[in-house]
Amino acid sequence: MSADRKYRVLVVDDEAAVLLTYRLILERQGYEVMACGTSVQAIAAMEKQKFDVVLCDYSLEEQHTGFEVISAARKLDAGVPAALLTGYATKETADEAASQGIGVMFKPIEIEEFLATTSNMLRRNNEPKQEGGEEDNRGPQNLH
Amino acid sequence: MATAEIRIQSPRMNGRRAAESRRPAVLRLLQAERSEEIFPLLLEEIIALGNPRALVVDVNLDSGEVTPAAALKWPRTQMEKFTTALWMQEHPLSSVFHAGRPEVLPKSSLHNRPLYIHPILYSNRNLCWEADRIRTGTCLAVQNFRRERRIRLEDQVCSTCDMRAYAAAVIVELPKTYTDQHVAELADLIDLANRYLSRLFKVEHYYNRMRDMEITIAQMGTVMQSMADPVILTDTQHRVIMQNKAAERFFRVPEEMTEGLVRAVEFNNLLFSAALSSMLVSGSDSHRDLTLVDAIEGEEMLFEAVSAPTFGHDGIQLGTVTVMRDVTDLRRADQELRLNYERLSDAEEVVRQDRDRLNLIIENVGDPIVVCDGKAKIVLVDPLAQKLFGDESDAVRDTIQFQNQTKLTAFIDAFTASFADRETAPLRLFNPTLRQEIEYDARSGKIFGERGQVAYTVTVLRDLTALRRVEQLKVERRMLEIEKFAATGRLAATIAHEVNNPMEAIKNAIYLLASAIPDTAAPVYNILKSETERVARIVRQMLGLYRNTEQVKPVNVNTIIEDTLLLLNRQLQRAKVELQTELRVLPDAVIAADQIRQVLSNLVINARDAMPEGGKLRIRSRHIPGSDEMHGWVRILIADTGSGIPREMIRSIFEPFVTTKGERGTGLGLWIVKGIIQNHAGKLSVKSTPGKGTTFKIDLPVVKL
Repeated sequence: MSADRKYRVLVVDDEAAVLLTYRLILERQGYEVMACGTSVQAIAAMEKQKFDVVLCDYSLEEQHTGFEVISAARKLDAGVPAALLTGYATKETADEAASQGIGVMFKPIEIEEFLATTSNMLRRNNEPKQEGGEEDNRGPQNLH
Repeated sequence: MATAEIRIQSPRMNGRRAAESRRPAVLRLLQAERSEEIFPLLLEEIIALGNPRALVVDVNLDSGEVTPAAALKWPRTQMEKFTTALWMQEHPLSSVFHAGRPEVLPKSSLHNRPLYIHPILYSNRNLCWEADRIRTGTCLAVQNFRRERRIRLEDQVCSTCDMRAYAAAVIVELPKTYTDQHVAELADLIDLANRYLSRLFKVEHYYNRMRDMEITIAQMGTVMQSMADPVILTDTQHRVIMQNKAAERFFRVPEEMTEGLVRAVEFNNLLFSAALSSMLVSGSDSHRDLTLVDAIEGEEMLFEAVSAPTFGHDGIQLGTVTVMRDVTDLRRADQELRLNYERLSDAEEVVRQDRDRLNLIIENVGDPIVVCDGKAKIVLVDPLAQKLFGDESDAVRDTIQFQNQTKLTAFIDAFTASFADRETAPLRLFNPTLRQEIEYDARSGKIFGERGQVAYTVTVLRDLTALRRVEQLKVERRMLEIEKFAATGRLAATIAHEVNNPMEAIKNAIYLLASAIPDTAAPVYNILKSETERVARIVRQMLGLYRNTEQVKPVNVNTIIEDTLLLLNRQLQRAKVELQTELRVLPDAVIAADQIRQVLSNLVINARDAMPEGGKLRIRSRHIPGSDEMHGWVRILIADTGSGIPREMIRSIFEPFVTTKGERGTGLGLWIVKGIIQNHAGKLSVKSTPGKGTTFKIDLPVVKL
């Protein structure tokens, strides 16, 4: 984790307590975190700023799903890494996630796994960009 | 009786008479020891009294003939006149006999001098012993003596002792001058002689009777001895009085006999005595069966003893005569017969039961059964087959049954002629109940006769549609089970989901608080952390099963086993568990690799936990070919040498929240294993011996594509 540049993480969960703890854990890890309780808020936040990674609960308010949030994010930034956080996934859900390149983390998530997965996604997404040099530095850091 | 002349000529008699002539006549007569000695003595006494001559005529009471028996000084030529018969009424002797009184006959045609004729008859003043013993007064001798009732000469037989009396007459030629005194003396002398004669006669009669009896006894004895059956005469105390040879064989102890046979004889006697007693008590029923041991041959014989009491004249029982009939052979034959009869009825019963049982089986088989003879003619059908073909005795069949029968006959004909002992072939028959043609699976077998020819064929028709229905039912039942499992899973998922989010928050909060906990609160914080992790583990396990996210694809199970063991190898080494693997060549199985990995992982971890002191873990795999080329199984065996599963838990081990690990286990591992295997249409079983170890067997279906 570099000191001069903070990755920006969007975390979405309709359970306030869960959302808060995710935010605190990620912040303690040195990320800049935007925590949203609904898909509407999340989409609104994305339109204001770009995120390096999107972590989203699968089942959201009023039948909304994490897929909506992630596809909205991908519309704005096609290459943004994303993962679904879920307690239960049907085969269809898992298949859909796999086909879209979305990671799946099953709750209860081991915190080590949670953090490792997140950092892996960020690193993998940024590695090819590091070859391009400037674009990498410009990335999220410049946006801030 | 001897004639008088012989006596007179006897020198001994003459000498005696000379010496004893001075004695009174009474005493001289007493010298007679036999009846025939009386008349000579009497005649001598009569002559001694001064009578010129004397004669005795004897009456044959059977024929009525009267003939001279003894004479003294009577010329032989004159004796012929005294030969007569009782029925010759005109003869002077006859009238004297019939009158029964002495008579003086003056000079007559009979004799040219006066005669004294004295008839004598068997008579006695006292009752004979026989009459005395049986206390009757009807003694012929006494009756004759008392002259109370004249008994005709023809009837002179004693009604008591059967003695035939004698009758005679003493005829004396009186001197030229005689007095009444002389006649009276003569009469007294003759009466006295008669009394002596009667006594001797009676003694002789008894002697004769005794001899007769001896003869009779000897004859009886001969008869008895000659009888092949044992005959025993016993007294009232059951003591043997007499027994024949046949009886001695059983009841007498001869010399030179072994101790055993002596005992046998004693035992025979005991048995016989007991039988006698019981026969006497029962009275009317006087025969018993006795098993006696032959003292000579030593073999057992069965007798039927028939006893009859013997009574004396006074009606008092003297003893018992027992005749035994050897019924050994008879009874043996009887027993044999009875035994044979029983065997026969037993056999009959067995056959009947067999038939009933067979009928019951046939009726309950649920498939039509047809028995045909060697010419493919139906001889027996069960109720189901009867619907298809009609009754075997039914001459008139409807067209459907006729058609079915034609098809069957064609099939059976071919089968009977074939060399095969059994055959299975499809047979389409019209089912009258379903009103449609159905394909039956006809399975036939042959029953061979004594000469090896086909005597009968038995055909069982299996309704394949019914069979298919059963298959269908099985599939449905399995579907239902899967459905049930899925429903349980959904329920678990819902609960887990509701628990999951709060859990997530709690877990995260605990993580975040880690650095803010003062040392004093650390123990409490650790409890909070570990217990929460435990709940998280349970939830994760439960949900793990339903993260049904993986695609199934053909995989070699051996690679999954190797992958899993690679991951767990260090753990096993740390737990001092020795690992043995025996992985044979396997076909690919279509499975969800991750799930099978979880199954293996769960089972290996369980095995490790069951061996806290270390042990041996054997993992084997092999291919089990199926009944056809298409199907088969992959078998995985996971065996540990651990503590085993308590007997009472073995049935519930696959249910959720059942664990042998106490606090450390979630109780979900095996439940998940079962769920995964079921989802793969596999089979899972366990064998465990407490203290020895546990073996899990997994069979996963393989389908050749």
